[in-house]
Amino acid sequence: MKRFFLFSLVVTASCLEAEVTMKTWFGDPDLQGTWTNASLTTLERPDNYESLVVTEEQANAAASFTAAFIEEIDNPYEKGESPKAGENVGGYNTAWFDQGTQLFKINGEYRSSILTYPEDGKLPRKWISWGMEAPSLYRMFTKANHPEQRSLGERCVVGFGSSGGPPMLNVLYNNNYQIVQSPGYVMILVEMVHDARIIRIKGTHLPDHIRPWLGDSVGHWEGNTLVVKTKNHHLQQRFRAAIRHQILMTENAEVTERFTRTSEDEILYEFSVDDDKAYKDVWRGEMPLRKAEGKIYEYACHEGNYAMANILAGAREEERRNQ
Amino acid sequence: MKIILRIIFCLFFGAFAFQIYAHHAFTAEFDPNAPINITGKVVKVEWINPHAWVHVEVEDESGKTVWMVEGGTPNTLIRNGITKKTLLPGTIIIVRGYQSKGRLCLPICIANGRDVTFPDGSKVFMGSSGTGAPRDGTDPRELKRE
Repeated sequence: MKRFFLFSLVVTASCLEAEVTMKTWFGDPDLQGTWTNASLTTLERPDNYESLVVTEEQANAAASFTAAFIEEIDNPYEKGESPKAGENVGGYNTAWFDQGTQLFKINGEYRSSILTYPEDGKLPRKWISWGMEAPSLYRMFTKANHPEQRSLGERCVVGFGSSGGPPMLNVLYNNNYQIVQSPGYVMILVEMVHDARIIRIKGTHLPDHIRPWLGDSVGHWEGNTLVVKTKNHHLQQRFRAAIRHQILMTENAEVTERFTRTSEDEILYEFSVDDDKAYKDVWRGEMPLRKAEGKIYEYACHEGNYAMANILAGAREEERRNQ
Repeated sequence: MKIILRIIFCLFFGAFAFQIYAHHAFTAEFDPNAPINITGKVVKVEWINPHAWVHVEVEDESGKTVWMVEGGTPNTLIRNGITKKTLLPGTIIIVRGYQSKGRLCLPICIANGRDVTFPDGSKVFMGSSGTGAPRDGTDPRELKRE
């Protein structure tokens, strides 16, 4: 009986301790830390999967396939061989990438897509709205008369794709976020390109004509879950393109995110996007944010952005040659 | 009409999709008709975002030329314990890639380091999945940590 009592005491104490460590000093649930969403699981479900949940065998196959693919694209030349003229210029060794090595798990089950709704794992695009984006896409990739014609990523304004969100989606590298809380605020620092989203707890939205980068976010707590609503997305962030996802967020878009600390090492990140101008239906997704070792590194993107000058210089040289 | 717009978008996006797997469009900066294969010694490493730059001095009959070779964001490598001290000045490396569209070499020649190796063929930068997230051992390139 005495042993049982002691055991109960230890269990109760450790539960209480866990509860204490999961709260901030001002009593809010603690989401603070450095987190990553690097994973092979992408926003939309690849065609080779038929369901949201996949088997361990399928997950292992995805990991092996990716490792083999990386090996292949990382060794484009035989020893002594030179690159050939007229081919894709490629990029750099994949050592610089950080795209994860396996599909993520939720509740112990491997997932084939971040999207949970629509059930087919595909964005319910309104192709009329998407087709209208073609001219701006063309300009973004072909015009280089001045820096502001280039994409936001190239200009070091925000990271490429929807890395900074919302919704925060994984890309090929820098999939790291730091969450810091203070009374009345939650700040999410996105490693690429050093963007900070400041969520006002119990705040009200700014007037509609004020459209900050990463949108205007206000939040509230529902039990241990932080619920964040974001609207008034910046108009220049309409089309967010990365190799792993392409989303369109019009001026009507409203994003609801839910952050729930499920363990010491994980936050369950859920979101829904409501944008009736670009999509036929609401779309929802979820993914884990896993605790990352180390810290966020300063990006200092503008300071070292030699690429922009090279792009503009290259465009001028092409013009000269074509005259 | 919807089908036409879908086709238009997919054609445009398909044409440019390969350009968006990084911070910038490589084809906007580098010239597919100017491939390079250079061997030289490292003289400086700029460990900066959004791209690290390795300066390589190449010596041939016409003299010495310094090339700036573009790499990726250094954060990933730093997180895995690789720093500028890993690649010290004087180290001989081979760079294969493409020269910048400018091709002017003013004030310095610029290229992307699509493939950067030591003379024995081994990679200068060995990557890993490392964000510090739990390592699963499925990536044979993962660096082993003590």
